[in-house]
Amino acid sequence: MRSSNGPFNWTAVFLFLSCLYTLFTPALTVKKQDFKTCDQSGFCKRNRAYSDTAISQSSSWTSPYTLDAQSIAFKGGQLTGIVLKNLPQSGENLRLPLTINFLESGLARVSIDEEKRQKGEIELRHGSKARKERYNEAEKWAIVGGQQLSKGAAVSKDSEEGTTKVLYGPASGYEAIIRHRPFVIDFKRDGETHIQFNERGLLNVEHWRPKIEKEPPKEGEENKAEEEQKIVDPAEDESTWWEETFGGNTDSKPKGPESVALDVSFPGYEHVYGVPEHTGPLSLLQTRGGEGNHDDPYRLYNSDVFEYEMDSPMTLYGAIPFMQAHRAGSTVGVLWLNAAETWIDIVKSKLSANPLSLGIKGTTTTQTHWFSEAGILDVFVFLGPTPQAISKSYGELTGYTQLPQQFAIAYHQCRWNYVTDEDVKDVDRKFDKHSIPYDVIWLDIEYTEEKKYFTWDGMTFPDPLGMQKQLDEHERKLVAIIDPHIKNTANYWVKDELVSKDLAIKNKDGNIWDGWCWPGSSYWVDCFNPAAIEWWKSLFTYDRFKGSARNLFIWNDMNEPSVFNGPETTSPKDNMHHGNWEHRDLHNINGLTFVNATYAATLQRSKSEAPQRPFILTRSFYAGSQRMGAMWTGDNQALWSHLKASLPMVLNNGVSGFPFAGADVGGFFGNPEKDLLVRWYQAGAFYPFFRAHAHIDTRRREPYLAGSPYREIITKALRLRYALLPSWYTAFREAHTEGWPIVRPNWWVHPSDPAGFALDKQMYLGSTGLLVAPVLEEGATSVDVYLADETPYYDYWDFELVKGRGMHTLDAPLEKLPLLMRAGHVFPRRDRPRRSSGLMRYDPFTLVVVLGTDAQGAEGTLYLDDGESFDYEQGAFIHRKFTYDAATQILRSEDIGEKGKKSDAYAMSMQGVRVERVIVVGAPAEWKGKEEVDVAEEGAKASAGTRKVDCVFHEASGKKAAWAVVRDPRVEIGKGWKIDFSSGARDKKEL
Amino acid sequence: MRAATFFVLASPITFSIAADSPRPRGVGPDFAKFYKDQTGFTCISAPHVKLATSRINDDFCDCPDGSDEPGTSACSHISSLSPPSTPGDVSSGNVNASLALPGYYCKNKGHQPSYLPFTNVNDGVCDYELCCDGSDEWAGLGKVKCEDKCKDIGAKWRKQDEIRQRALSAANKRRNELVTESARLRREVADRIKSLGEEIKGAELKVQGLEEDLAEIERQERTKVVKAESTGGRLGVLTGLAKARIEELKVNLVAVRGERDAGYERVKKLEDILAAFKEEYNPNFNDEGVKTAVRAWEDYAAAGRLGEPDTQIEQDLDEMTKSDEENGLNWAEYEGQQEGDVDVLYKFEEYLPAGLRDWVDKKLRDLRVMLIDNGIIAPASEQGGESQAVKDARERLNLANTELNGQRTSLDQHKEDLEKDYGPDDVFRALKGQCISKDAGEYTYELCWMEKTVQKKKRGGGDTNMGNFMRIESIEVDEDVDQDGKGLGSGVRMALKYENGLQCWNGPQRSTTVVLACAAEDEIWKIIEEEKCVYRMEVGTAAVCEPAPGEKRHVRDEL
Repeated sequence: MRSSNGPFNWTAVFLFLSCLYTLFTPALTVKKQDFKTCDQSGFCKRNRAYSDTAISQSSSWTSPYTLDAQSIAFKGGQLTGIVLKNLPQSGENLRLPLTINFLESGLARVSIDEEKRQKGEIELRHGSKARKERYNEAEKWAIVGGQQLSKGAAVSKDSEEGTTKVLYGPASGYEAIIRHRPFVIDFKRDGETHIQFNERGLLNVEHWRPKIEKEPPKEGEENKAEEEQKIVDPAEDESTWWEETFGGNTDSKPKGPESVALDVSFPGYEHVYGVPEHTGPLSLLQTRGGEGNHDDPYRLYNSDVFEYEMDSPMTLYGAIPFMQAHRAGSTVGVLWLNAAETWIDIVKSKLSANPLSLGIKGTTTTQTHWFSEAGILDVFVFLGPTPQAISKSYGELTGYTQLPQQFAIAYHQCRWNYVTDEDVKDVDRKFDKHSIPYDVIWLDIEYTEEKKYFTWDGMTFPDPLGMQKQLDEHERKLVAIIDPHIKNTANYWVKDELVSKDLAIKNKDGNIWDGWCWPGSSYWVDCFNPAAIEWWKSLFTYDRFKGSARNLFIWNDMNEPSVFNGPETTSPKDNMHHGNWEHRDLHNINGLTFVNATYAATLQRSKSEAPQRPFILTRSFYAGSQRMGAMWTGDNQALWSHLKASLPMVLNNGVSGFPFAGADVGGFFGNPEKDLLVRWYQAGAFYPFFRAHAHIDTRRREPYLAGSPYREIITKALRLRYALLPSWYTAFREAHTEGWPIVRPNWWVHPSDPAGFALDKQMYLGSTGLLVAPVLEEGATSVDVYLADETPYYDYWDFELVKGRGMHTLDAPLEKLPLLMRAGHVFPRRDRPRRSSGLMRYDPFTLVVVLGTDAQGAEGTLYLDDGESFDYEQGAFIHRKFTYDAATQILRSEDIGEKGKKSDAYAMSMQGVRVERVIVVGAPAEWKGKEEVDVAEEGAKASAGTRKVDCVFHEASGKKAAWAVVRDPRVEIGKGWKIDFSSGARDKKEL
Repeated sequence: MRAATFFVLASPITFSIAADSPRPRGVGPDFAKFYKDQTGFTCISAPHVKLATSRINDDFCDCPDGSDEPGTSACSHISSLSPPSTPGDVSSGNVNASLALPGYYCKNKGHQPSYLPFTNVNDGVCDYELCCDGSDEWAGLGKVKCEDKCKDIGAKWRKQDEIRQRALSAANKRRNELVTESARLRREVADRIKSLGEEIKGAELKVQGLEEDLAEIERQERTKVVKAESTGGRLGVLTGLAKARIEELKVNLVAVRGERDAGYERVKKLEDILAAFKEEYNPNFNDEGVKTAVRAWEDYAAAGRLGEPDTQIEQDLDEMTKSDEENGLNWAEYEGQQEGDVDVLYKFEEYLPAGLRDWVDKKLRDLRVMLIDNGIIAPASEQGGESQAVKDARERLNLANTELNGQRTSLDQHKEDLEKDYGPDDVFRALKGQCISKDAGEYTYELCWMEKTVQKKKRGGGDTNMGNFMRIESIEVDEDVDQDGKGLGSGVRMALKYENGLQCWNGPQRSTTVVLACAAEDEIWKIIEEEKCVYRMEVGTAAVCEPAPGEKRHVRDEL
């Protein structure tokens, strides 16, 4: 018989199991089946197979592409010709027009098109209205400059037989050696090859061909048909030429197979960086399997990847097809200008053939293989030779980072969702009550009436203007979300106008395409259409977007576009855009065009107001998006692994030309433990874009709710960000004019030290010499930080000396953010805590001068403007260089800005804003006893002459460096001045 | 020129020749004594630091406690919330340094003086809430001009204050009424307890009487002879009935088990579907329907999913449905039995002469009663039917007992109620069961005093219980009070804790803390979801006004 306590036992088991269930709810994971692997993407599989064939035949493999020597012409920096693709079956030679532009900037641009498609001599299936030519308008959106053809470029007379040699670049130090048969290009700098095209023979332009309808297999012969299929060359696998089905969606592919592919080799280069957006290490991994490598290529196909995974080549929300290869002493790069679905295979091979060639050249070669589904083949070649030069010329080409408004680089408080206008006002007051600075509060989709953008939910946001007015009292801003999907519902004026003006994306049949997103059934505005941009601009005027004020800015989310019921959660590829381009042609640019329209729309929202710099946050991006705003890394999770992943992601975006980047602080999904939240704020204080965000189902986590001591530690991290804002703003200015990253990886700052090339857990802030190594491991109370050379560094908090090339362990209890100052730098701060960055406008500065143990001196810069208008374009800014000369012991401020029409007015407005403190870290020991310094300021009356100002010297003790503080030199930040430390101790008589 | 003004004002020019010189800018009267010495200044809480008087308010922070800058923001970074600006702050133990002064002193002539945080001095914003005289922006940064608004603000405040004071006295009056009402209600309860005591005494007597009645009637009834009802023996009939009944139950058990198994399969299938649904849905899409379903499923699953059938029970059931013989039950054995022992006893009487029979009868009856009373044999009622007279008597007793128990329970409840915490002066007794509500966004929130809090969706849908009243607590608050006097203010406030409301998805059971402040009208001022499903209501009620009028009144210093 059964035991009497049976039921009790069962209940206990149930309880136990359900407890386990709640404790170990399976970790959120990406729905991998929703996204294609290379094998599931026809052209990816075909091109990989093509490469496999080439590799397996190695020596006997010959690329079927040749350059017709007769066709070559060179004029004014441009080489043209015809590449012939030989079809072995028919013997036919297909004509592929080649253009190579040699640009004044030292870049080369190689473009290959297909003549038949170009001339429209093809037929489309299914009666498609799509354009017949390959997509060639990516440059329209991505490229803004640097297109001037080089006057100095010339074909060399001493080209070898069967090659054409073009000399170009600075002092004609670059060479492009174009071999005709097979078609291969070597790019050389100073006689050495750095980049090779088609060296492995993987160039592939899938030409147009008519579809040959096959007889359907007769009854009982299916097996035979299948067998026949098997022996077909997988590179010519026709099954995905004319139609592809994935996840229940069928792509009609009216243009047939049209992929373009090319292998790009970097001989002697071991590290490649770039091609965001992916998770994983900064130094890209190999992708053809093996221990620690990826199995699939890096993919670029902007998608709303839900609960994305770590260390993956899977695509994410944005795509920048720009890659840099780096080795000690040289950096080169390529920009693959193509907006269609793109994959990149990476393999690295050690050179073992010549062991004697050890030396400055690396022994590893990185070979990459790029393939895109459609469009022309269009590649820019960068020969560096430094990371700085690459960033600069990439910026010249695709545009520099927008100089954002001051508030945009301060702290942003976001949540899905602040539920009412009262809620927003309450959070606003609570920040003040707890003396925590913040600049921007955000509204996610719930503020709208039933997810209809440009409306407010009347019940929850009855008084949006009152809310924005309260925020404005302390110069705070509101950011509201506006997405590209327009609710398909009756009596919604935005939808009505979209339809009546015919500005929506169409389906393959030419009707307005209907998909699903937040509002349910929706239409998508087609921002490739200039008329759509004009219309979009009209929506943001204050009289149309009722309830919006001047301090409202915009968040463009879901612009991949995210389509809940679409293939791979995005638009069908055979949808049609303005100009009859298929969506497949331009998918990766879609997000950029939407931000572009919003940028234009928010420049000036009424005729009577002065234009101001727009602020737009985007999730989807492409090369060029940096011109319009900031990006964030999408929907991350409240896990240590995601905190850790954020650094390489932000760093990679920085070196890839879009440095205004950050991850959701705290993690979007899930509830972070308090220590994770604290560590995330400490790391986030060093993201260029610093925003906390949380999912609607998470607990509230505004910093003031964290409780002691977490609240205090978080507040310190926030106040540190605010104190360093002048340094941040200066770094943004460098990004805006030089294209340099705002936070920089070790290799970028120390390009000659191979030991640091793969580091991605520590970052430099601009050119300040500040090196941060946030704690990214649960429970860790120390971090290891790598120093690339013998230059002294000092702990930011106690001035302890950290010196010597190699790893150093820094103490990092929860309340401490590991931060070092590199000798040789001067950086500005503003130490007075205020409620928002706008209220710091006239605060005095602290200058920190960090000296080494030798006589190298120090220098640094400050850039300052009104942080809001475009007046800086007319000289309304302060740009100073601070130099400390060790020999003379003089710290100087000199003007490095160019004067403009509005320079004087701005200088006037900043008159009286001064330096209140100079801190000299690593002060010379002989300053002992020094009590004053001599201060002289330009424009001071002659009678004033040199002033004596107090200076206090603190001796070194133990490992802590000596330091000195100049007490209120009262020199103006916008003026020239010098502080002379060489004078001696105060004359006793004066006391 | 603005910049010039900046520097002129920055220097300490406000000292005069008068003996009782004016205080430096920003110094409140309580701290004036520290600034009297014309020959030098000693930092208030760091007396080892002595400065020239020219360093007071020169817009540079010299004192580790910030006391040399009472009128500027130069020392505003001295706070445990700031990163140290130099290691001096670290090494001298000033990491957690605090300011010696409470803030920048605004004289606010025409109104009440107050202290403004130093971080807000000269930041370009007129902080009229604390500084109606606009003196906080004395440097006029960025062309900001803060005119003195104290006259207006003060007048407005006094007017408001008058209203507030009136409201306060109304509130106190109302509280007195509540207290009186509570006392009356309390007396009612006490009276009820008293009367219940009497009633219970009476009822107890009644029960006692009825018990005696019943015993007597039973005693009489027991003597009556119970005749055998039919041939074949009563046991035989019973056996027959039992057999049929068991057969019927067995058949039905098999049928029900069949249905159960089918149902089990279906539930299992549904659970699998839902479990897969929960795994694969995308919470990011925020489809309310889907989320509600997932939530409901999680609640369901938390209570335990369908388990495998208990094999032991199944074996038992299998055994039960086997034929009776296999279970060792032989009906035939019982069906033939003719007479019971008692029958024989009764029959024996029939052969005796009448007189003897009566004597025997009496003796037997006594013996039986004795046996029954001693628990040796069972009373007649358990062996056969009970007479109507006994039933009636028992009925009456039961009724009386029920009544008595009811009264006892009621007494306990009333006693408990009397001991329950209804706050000081029992004041919430008068409010118990009354409800007030407030619209906020898409919901209406309801507070029922001492009972529960509820969230009602305006667009329709079920009410959500946000907690049931548990206890009274006190908590520290620091909130604003608006011009109408609505708001919690700062200090310790009474709070009603409502807990164990509806379970929240991915969260706790809903709970509400109702924080109370004095007001004439009972009114919900604000509802905040502090954390997921943890609510806070800020509520005004006269119930928490200061008890005795004339005593030190609760005056708020918000303006």
